[in-house]
Amino acid sequence: MTIEWESHPGEEQLHVVATTPEQVVAEVIAALTTLVARDPGGEPAERTISVTAEDRAGLLVELLGELIYLAETEGFVGDTATVDLAERRLDAVLGGRLTTIDPLVKAATYHGLSFEQRGGAWHARIVLDV
Amino acid sequence: MPASFSTSDLRRIGEAVWEIAPSGAMRVPARVFADDELIAAIAGDASLEQLKNVATLPGVVAPVLAMPDVHQGYGFPVGGVAATELPDGVVSPGGVGYDINCGVRLLALPLTEEDLGPRREALVHEISRAVPAGAGKESRLYVSGIDLDHVLRDGSAAIASGNDVAHTESHGCLPGADPAAVSSRAKERGRGQIGTLGSGNHFVELQCVDRVHDATAAETFGIAPGQVTVLIHSGSRGLGHQVCTDYVREMGAAMARYRIALPDRQLACAPASSPEGQAYLAAMAAAANFAWANRQGIADAVRSAIGRTLGQAVAAGTVQVYDVAHNVAKVEEYGGREVLVHRKGATRAFPPGSAEIPERYLGVGQPVFIPGSMGTASYVLAGEPGSMTESFGTTCHGAGRLLSRTAARKRIGGSELRRELEARGIVVRCPSPKGLAEEAPFAYKDVERVVEVVERAGLARRVARLVPLGVVKG
Repeated sequence: MTIEWESHPGEEQLHVVATTPEQVVAEVIAALTTLVARDPGGEPAERTISVTAEDRAGLLVELLGELIYLAETEGFVGDTATVDLAERRLDAVLGGRLTTIDPLVKAATYHGLSFEQRGGAWHARIVLDV
Repeated sequence: MPASFSTSDLRRIGEAVWEIAPSGAMRVPARVFADDELIAAIAGDASLEQLKNVATLPGVVAPVLAMPDVHQGYGFPVGGVAATELPDGVVSPGGVGYDINCGVRLLALPLTEEDLGPRREALVHEISRAVPAGAGKESRLYVSGIDLDHVLRDGSAAIASGNDVAHTESHGCLPGADPAAVSSRAKERGRGQIGTLGSGNHFVELQCVDRVHDATAAETFGIAPGQVTVLIHSGSRGLGHQVCTDYVREMGAAMARYRIALPDRQLACAPASSPEGQAYLAAMAAAANFAWANRQGIADAVRSAIGRTLGQAVAAGTVQVYDVAHNVAKVEEYGGREVLVHRKGATRAFPPGSAEIPERYLGVGQPVFIPGSMGTASYVLAGEPGSMTESFGTTCHGAGRLLSRTAARKRIGGSELRRELEARGIVVRCPSPKGLAEEAPFAYKDVERVVEVVERAGLARRVARLVPLGVVKG
């Protein structure tokens, strides 16, 4: 399992590789937390997210949109996730915390977006506007 | 299929202008304003592939443009300009970007750097206390219970009047704004954020005028050698980000209905005359108005900090030079055609005599502000006639990123950069060392070269050079 922030001159480009698509989703959630949480502590909290999209890659954009909204409006960031993933629907129960956030990430984009199985592993690539 | 790009696609057609002829699905040529060094940097990332993709938009008018500060973005390059012919050419939310009406406002203080003297650090500190980053509901205006729909309809005028409104692009209010076109989620994100800075490359910078290039224009803009200024860079915060998110999704779903196929999902668009296009334009205008109110709230907080540090007379004498947007789509007329000009990381630069600029500036042209990169200079420019014939009334918006944030962090730590800047007399207030390192001056192109190119291309001319005294980052 790897998480890599790839070179992009203006934005943050995330590349995650994992053995299952659910693990990819959990790592994407954790990666966003590393970008926006300014404080390692916080009050424990749990949130449930359900999103739909036209395809699996679009689910990542919708998921990140929900997470950005929760971070900005509640200060919630996810640390762990139980993920139920189908082709066009994603449900996740997030364990996390209410903390101080850096309002760095504006949105998740569709540019160069991918979420696919290659060479026996699942890969996701997504560009975040920062 | 996304476009590919090779440097052999570039043909020099002017001293500082390059062209890429249409190929593949491109409907029009692409032009790049750059000198030899900048074109090499620009060709080194994916900006020009992205510009070629923009040239495939239905209804696009020749040519699509890249300013000399262009860099790779997502969908549109940052520093890209595309005009589409109305009524049925498309509007693309990605052509404006998530930070709708991100822009820059310049305030001029009635004192010089020498007058300011040792109070510099106290002033920067006080500004950092007065302008929240916006991680929570910290806005002073939120606490005062301002009516958000009023802000979305009326922009700057919802919280200001007089010179501040008169000296703002479009008087701080785009027509056609409809709060009902803005989702409740967008309103929820923005509700506590009026008067907040945001993070990333947003800043408030205390500066002084270090060189005047055009004395007449500088005097008209109310700036003089040695004078202290404050440059504010922020946008529409979470509200604008959510508006773009909502409409990229909606247009992505609608494109098949309009038989639009594009090389990049992020370019999602719809005819400007369509229900989706009209709804987006109404929401975009509302978000642009929110951004102007946001910068107004920040300017008010800066004036309060000036009053507490330097006295109320100095605060009262602090004058807004102008406020310009650099992420917006506007209806304008060129060559007898009404077009929708998408400026994504590009600034309107109308020349002397243009109807839309403040009466006081009619003789010298519209002010344009080009932020540098914390440790380097920023520029005040004035629009030139060439912008109307060559670039849909547009010029550059900044120095333009050269290095990724990760690469910048690898080269310097936030604490080391802070020490370097402070050793040069630049006071720094930033809660995040990581965020500070990501915005290191070497991560940007040479702003001097960028403004020289737009001057040589006849888009805008240099009026004054500003150097940093202190910087506040979110």
